[in-house]
Amino acid sequence: MSASTSTLLIPLHAKYVQSLGESKDDLMYHLTAHLRMNAIYWGLTALCTMNHKDALNREEMIEFVMSCWDDEAGGGFGAHPDHDAHIHSTLSAIQILIMQDALDRVDVDRVVKFILSLQQPSGVFAGDQWGEIDTRFLYCAVNALSLLGRLHELDVEKTVGYVRQCRNFDGGFGAVAGAESHAAMVFVCTATLAILDRLDEIDQEMLGWWLAERQVPSGGLNGRPEKLEDVCYSFWVLSAMAILKKVPWIDSDKLIAFILSAQDTDHGGIADRPGNQADVFHTHFGIAGLSLLGYPGLADLDPVYCMPARVIERMGLRKGWEGLPRKAS
Amino acid sequence: MSAESEDVPLYAERPEWSDVVPVPQYQGVDALAPINYSAEYQDATDYFRGIIRMGETSPRVLKLTRDIINMNPAHYSAWQYRYKTLIAIGADLTEELRQMDDFALTNMKTYQVWHHRRLLLTALRSRDAAAGELAFTARVLAADAKNYHTWSYRQWLLAHFNDEERLWAGERAWVEDLLEKDVRNNSAWHHRFFVVWSSGVREGDEDREAVGRRELAFAKEKIALAPNNPSAWNYLRGVLEHTKTPLSALTTFVQLYTVSSPSIAPEVMDLDNPVPTEGAQLPCVNALEFQADIYEQEGGTQITKAVEIWKSLANEYDTMRKKYWEYRIKEGLQTTHT
Repeated sequence: MSASTSTLLIPLHAKYVQSLGESKDDLMYHLTAHLRMNAIYWGLTALCTMNHKDALNREEMIEFVMSCWDDEAGGGFGAHPDHDAHIHSTLSAIQILIMQDALDRVDVDRVVKFILSLQQPSGVFAGDQWGEIDTRFLYCAVNALSLLGRLHELDVEKTVGYVRQCRNFDGGFGAVAGAESHAAMVFVCTATLAILDRLDEIDQEMLGWWLAERQVPSGGLNGRPEKLEDVCYSFWVLSAMAILKKVPWIDSDKLIAFILSAQDTDHGGIADRPGNQADVFHTHFGIAGLSLLGYPGLADLDPVYCMPARVIERMGLRKGWEGLPRKAS
Repeated sequence: MSAESEDVPLYAERPEWSDVVPVPQYQGVDALAPINYSAEYQDATDYFRGIIRMGETSPRVLKLTRDIINMNPAHYSAWQYRYKTLIAIGADLTEELRQMDDFALTNMKTYQVWHHRRLLLTALRSRDAAAGELAFTARVLAADAKNYHTWSYRQWLLAHFNDEERLWAGERAWVEDLLEKDVRNNSAWHHRFFVVWSSGVREGDEDREAVGRRELAFAKEKIALAPNNPSAWNYLRGVLEHTKTPLSALTTFVQLYTVSSPSIAPEVMDLDNPVPTEGAQLPCVNALEFQADIYEQEGGTQITKAVEIWKSLANEYDTMRKKYWEYRIKEGLQTTHT
């Protein structure tokens, strides 16, 4: 056990991601239809980070993404064909198409219109016409508009104003104004402010410390004080730390060992913590965390956009983040 | 699927649904494998797509969407259409809340459960309903005291209806009770800050200086019970920051927690500076950090003392964050030299 989880099993994880689309007769596959577009984005980004981008068929993927276009909603993507457009699946669709160099398939004007239509008077964004609001959707909007080169159409003051309202006395950020600080929300708020060049809104030292305190004795990271560690926070916490250039503040060796210990060494994939069932979400965020920690053999992942750094650099969107230097072996 | 569902006919077998044309799930470009999952789920979602196509809003839609939500609580289109239908047919929304109570309790981690209630409460515009919801969220939080969606919903209820007597009045005592049960519950500490400091002034809390003293005393008392509790220390710092009180105001208290065994004269009971509970692990990292911050703020020769503490944190008490403490040492020394 200890020997087999001491390294990242790249070929096995690539095979695991590849196999995910093959179990369509499984009830779980259908119960998670509302996350299908996101799952493809997680799988593809994980493969890109492992330098195995070609493990999934490009044409099929683009066809699937385009089949989720929701014409009635005015110009967004649903998570699955026949699902209503949602800002989260719309961001994933755009990220996939950019990674596959196929953005020309999209009517960008209509997507931008759809996204902007979801901003509320308070500055926050709703996820869809149903009206769920939180800072995650706000980040989805800002990220997507930036990727589409249409940030100038956003009311930046109003948007930043809402993020400011979500800041708490401990230096962190919550999902909505008044809500408790949570590492995932810290990530979305920090990345939003990075994209908008407004990191001056953050007390960076205080927030950096709050993030560093998320590391627990097992080496893993939790999302709030006194909660269990979970592999997905390897990305939420680390990406925010990378944006603030504070990754060295935690014990990277212990965190790497924790992520590796959550691998399924038989079937591939990474779980939330050792011994649990692997899934594509934790696989992606575990590998993303390892990339930011300079794990050898991985490609750089941009923590602001959560996409391959090479792609973001080519688009001229790179912000001043810093992960740990890539190790040789 | 549960055993009892076998006795229930599929929608396709029910005469009262024969006017709806079921719309099968889009199977994707590579759907060569036959779809072979739960017949009930497929049947219900096929009829749901049929209903959407017809644009029908009627009582039977409530039954259908309820079936789908029972099988898949995260099916947001079913929730969305259910809400639309409730409003369209003028359904009793209070009754809808009651019907969803048990469901919310068993599916409390599903965001849609809470958003649905929020929409219902917004439409109801009733303080009675809001008060009922406070009681309901208290029940949910008794089962899972850290459920993020439930807490956010409760904070929304308080702020949205903003009724001092019926909603806010019992809030501090209630959250205190939660902290009684688990002093490390960060959600409860956060909520206390929300109630006392960041959502207006509560009735009886007009004397802010007195409130500040009360809250410091409260935090100190809880730290004494469990010194290694970052939530309580964060709260303490939050109160100091909010009331613009210097950290050094707490020097006497903090020093009780920075040594392995505090020397306490047993005959003197100092209520302002409660002592660590017996058997607590000392010194406490949060206290050492606090003490070093006091020294750093005082500046001058005190920096040397701060550096000593940071060194002990880096090398002994908090080695996992060694690099952070080394950064503090470097920064601290730079400030003295400039």
